Amino acid sequence: MNIRYEQIQGRSLGFYALVAGLGVLILAALGAVWHMEHNGHWVTGMSNRIVWGMPHVFALFLIVAASGALNVASISSVFNKKLYKPMSRLSGLVSLALLAGGLMILVLDLGRPDRLIVAMTEYNFKSIFAWNIILYNGFFVIVAIYLWMMFERRMNKFSSKAGLSAFTWRLILTTGTGSIFGFLVARQAYDAVIMAPMFIIMSFAFGLAFFILILMASYKWTDRPLGDVVVNRLGNLLGVFVAAVMYFVAVKHLGNLYLAENAGVENFILFGEYVYSDLFWYGQIILGGLIPMALIYHPALRSNRSTLGLASVLVLIGGVIQLYIIIVGGQAYPMEMFPGKEILEGYGGIAAYTPSLAEIMLGVGGIAVALIAVTFLVKFLPFLPESLADEVSDPHHKS
Amino acid sequence: MYRFLVVFIGFAFMSIANAYENPLTGNSEAAKSSKQYHENVSVIRKMHPEFLNHKRDKTLRQGVRTEENSLKGCVNCHANKDETTNEYHSVNDKDQFCSDCHQQVSVSVDCFSCHRTTPGASYKGVR
Amino acid sequence: MSKTLNRRDFIKTTTATTASVATIASGITLTTFAANANENPVTNEKRWGMLIDTNRLTEANIDGMVTACKKEHGWGSEAHSTGDQKSNWIRKLKVKDKATGKVTSLPLMCQHCEEPPCVDVCPTNASMKREDGIVLVDRHLCIGCRYCMMACPYDARSFVHEDLTDQKEDMPRGKGTVESCTLCVHKVDKGEAPACVASVNSDAVIFGDLYDANSKINQTLKKVQSAQIRADLNLNTGVRYSGI
Repeated sequence: MNIRYEQIQGRSLGFYALVAGLGVLILAALGAVWHMEHNGHWVTGMSNRIVWGMPHVFALFLIVAASGALNVASISSVFNKKLYKPMSRLSGLVSLALLAGGLMILVLDLGRPDRLIVAMTEYNFKSIFAWNIILYNGFFVIVAIYLWMMFERRMNKFSSKAGLSAFTWRLILTTGTGSIFGFLVARQAYDAVIMAPMFIIMSFAFGLAFFILILMASYKWTDRPLGDVVVNRLGNLLGVFVAAVMYFVAVKHLGNLYLAENAGVENFILFGEYVYSDLFWYGQIILGGLIPMALIYHPALRSNRSTLGLASVLVLIGGVIQLYIIIVGGQAYPMEMFPGKEILEGYGGIAAYTPSLAEIMLGVGGIAVALIAVTFLVKFLPFLPESLADEVSDPHHKS
Repeated sequence: MYRFLVVFIGFAFMSIANAYENPLTGNSEAAKSSKQYHENVSVIRKMHPEFLNHKRDKTLRQGVRTEENSLKGCVNCHANKDETTNEYHSVNDKDQFCSDCHQQVSVSVDCFSCHRTTPGASYKGVR
Repeated sequence: MSKTLNRRDFIKTTTATTASVATIASGITLTTFAANANENPVTNEKRWGMLIDTNRLTEANIDGMVTACKKEHGWGSEAHSTGDQKSNWIRKLKVKDKATGKVTSLPLMCQHCEEPPCVDVCPTNASMKREDGIVLVDRHLCIGCRYCMMACPYDARSFVHEDLTDQKEDMPRGKGTVESCTLCVHKVDKGEAPACVASVNSDAVIFGDLYDANSKINQTLKKVQSAQIRADLNLNTGVRYSGI
């Protein structure tokens, strides 16, 4: 059965209200950037101890989610699952949009964003960061080509090959993002190979949560049919990914607790009296892990769109919290400069960090950029299938 | 591409430089000194960004600290002294040595977000 | 001078002579090669280093080193930055041995590693190491990503959090870029010792060419026990400590 794609109308009051709302958030973010860049970073909560603050939390969250959002397309083209095929276009779009939002935050939080051209022309190939710049740019190109092959009928036959290369590229990309932290040998909280695979699993969960929310919202708001088969399948998948993230988190922390040299930072994150421990147990584990799994797997809530939506939102909130703990918490704990010695004066102690409103606004603005890009593009190009009713997505479905 | 840009900017500068009979007015060492420091003024006008960029890499990365094309030298010689207060004007202040041309061609100067804009305390005049 | 010196006289005369010899000698050794040094690129035949003897360095000495550095480079008086936002190129650390309870004070700054993590991670090559081992930030290329600050095991780098004016003529500094100890590269290139070293009037801090078998630092390092901070990272630092 052929799937018909169609643009959304995008003339309703709701559409314009959505665009206006997102626009306000973006303007607020730009205002925040002007404020931070004009005055300098002293107006933020960042310091020489916490050099990456709230903007990096949001930026890495979006970048990680971006590579994960491509999964739906990958499952169809790489693993040949027919059910996911109609959603491939949207999957590619969400992925590009999230990446654009994340990179915008990253660039605008630089000390000298006006020197972006330097970052694009001067490469230090020993730097994982420089590799990431190449990986991000390459991702845009590859996914754009992949999308083109899905859109252009003559090119359809190549789309699974393009999908395979996009899938490979995104695995490398997330490995690179995780390695930004994994390669920091000096810091007890980061120096771990498991960071890279953990980031990949995180990307699966966050990206899919974004995708589910966008898919359900766009079908609801445009009154297009969206069947339970698709929704339940995506929901189950999300549950599996969330469980996998929790498994990796457990392995990482248990492994670190075992090593005497990392016991200090582990106790600080898991059982300390600072905000990070509360964030970890209540935010990341309960709010972002256990509750979403309960919402997804509880038999009484099966096929319930509202609870699946809530679960997705919680996964995203838990994701932001997880990255906050990794990025800010990891920096707050002092480096072990003198093993066997205690530093009395001059360095040490837990570094304080209170995010400023401007930093949060920039982060939220990045999400808004991603969402507004999706909103406009589904209006101008046929990304969304006319129907994802059960008999469309699953030909063998019996109602 | 980059070369074209250089040539283009060069032309832009030439047209401005030609508009001036003697650009070195004011109360700076360069305006007062009879010693000619630059071999060819029009070359300096056109090429000073390249000279400065080249020199900055040699100084910073290789430790070559000759006076030739040093930004410190430019500032020391070309900063104007206020007649009344006897204090130096910053070279990037409005209508001062650097901004005078740069304003007109709308090319921003990035040097002075870091570099000092007046001669330093140790500067004792032209040698 | 009588043949039998008492202890006090001995210390007095030796300090005076070593101090003067050190100043003159360092002047001579440094200037002899420095005749044309400013015109020629630096080479890897040298490796600048520093040896800090924490047993002989008093707390007042360390405070003096910090003050000398601030005066030379102009950091630390940022108007808006607070607490950890202020630049900090060299700091006084007090560490206590957990077993013996011995307290040691030491100055900590960029350690000028042979394998600097900051240089490895910098995406734009702004973090760089000169041929003679001095680690610098090329502020012309720095985009202010602060990855080097994440990578540095010594917390030696600072990010400029605000607009600056009236910089020192030899030390350009500006908002949005990262900075750290330059080993007073502008003085070293002229054949002088770094400001912090010059501020200490004894051999408690020795500066020189680690490779030169005739240099004081090389000879002292052969005699005394010395350590590198975080030696486990194998960074082979240029700044060494004895007494910790």
